[in-house]
Amino acid sequence: MKHHRRGELWWRKRVRNGVGRSQSSHARRVRAACVALMSVAALCTVSAADAARLLNVRDEGRLRYVKSSGEVIIDEGHATGSFLGRVTVRFLYTGEPTVSARFTISGSAGSISARGTARLSSPTSPSPSFHGSFTVTGGSGRYAHIHGGGELYGVYYRRSYALTVQAIGKLPY
Amino acid sequence: MPRARLIAVVLASWACLPGSAHGATTAKMSAAFTPEHLGAPTVVSFGFQIDQSSFDPAPLTGVELAFPHNLRLATSDLGVSACPPDQLEALGPKRCPPNSHMGNGSAIVEIAFGTELVEEAVQLTLLAGPSPNGYLHILVYAKGTYPVEADVVLTAELLHGRIAITVPPILSLPGAPSVAVTEMQLTLGGHLTYYETVKGRRVAYHPVGVAVPSTCPSGGFRFAATFMLLDGERPSSHTAVACPQPHDRA
Repeated sequence: MKHHRRGELWWRKRVRNGVGRSQSSHARRVRAACVALMSVAALCTVSAADAARLLNVRDEGRLRYVKSSGEVIIDEGHATGSFLGRVTVRFLYTGEPTVSARFTISGSAGSISARGTARLSSPTSPSPSFHGSFTVTGGSGRYAHIHGGGELYGVYYRRSYALTVQAIGKLPY
Repeated sequence: MPRARLIAVVLASWACLPGSAHGATTAKMSAAFTPEHLGAPTVVSFGFQIDQSSFDPAPLTGVELAFPHNLRLATSDLGVSACPPDQLEALGPKRCPPNSHMGNGSAIVEIAFGTELVEEAVQLTLLAGPSPNGYLHILVYAKGTYPVEADVVLTAELLHGRIAITVPPILSLPGAPSVAVTEMQLTLGGHLTYYETVKGRRVAYHPVGVAVPSTCPSGGFRFAATFMLLDGERPSSHTAVACPQPHDRA
């Protein structure tokens, strides 16, 4: 530490005396080169971090019936968990054991759209549950390049057409 | 001469065919929404009639009933509890959970008594059944009292845009042919009372049931039915419910 201070002092002293100006510009050039190298290194680090960026989704939405369009039930609500935002779900249940859904979560930094299929258990129950998987179909804003998928869980409330949907997955973006 | 013989053979074989194979079997179907308002809750009724114009009508083994996709029978709040078929057969529909009741109906069957065909009126009760395969199952409990006292359970499966009803062989008297279903009227919804638990208390409510779709295709809501008869014939019929006037929710 002391040695380093001495070095600094020596360098300042030489500049003050007007001696070693050429050495100082050389030092500046070296510093500029170092800064450039560091910037490149930093850029490389950022892009590596970008590639490794993951959105660890573990979200739940309690959704209310809004309207229906043909066979599709449209529900909306808020997502709570790791990605906060507004959720819109287009839920299709035709009587087949497999249900399908398209959903979009819109947050402050962007939106994520996905589609999923799931198998409904106990259809003759007031609130049949379902379990399946989802695949991201697109995104916007910070999540423009989001992809991947995960697991989808949910409950359909037959009396109110409401839904509780839970999505779990690690999504690179 | 050989040509005349051939014509005679063809005519003779034609004459020997059963009535239904002549194409004499006709089927008619009807469908209705009560009330008829777009987007509003309703009671859906299906009816059909099979006329075999034969003294020995072939028993009905199944019916496939197609309805508009956007009728959303699957997502309705009808049948939120299942009635076990064994229990239904043994004890009747009154012992089934109230939340399994989905509707009712009636039927006319023909029973051969010697050389006579006798009609019997049958009461139908529609209930939700257990789902072994993920599809919604409907049980149709049929009870006739006179001249033959019998009850039988028909099973139906709700598929995408259609209901597949299976009619089991309905025996009448020993040695007599099976009973033939000639008319059936089914109603989904209506005045049903269900129960739910709210804050630990059992509360009664009326299920909304099925709603008339909010949009009507040109030509109305189309329904169709195909009937499977034991002799292999598959007569079919179709109908349409005319587009109702838009419902004023105000």
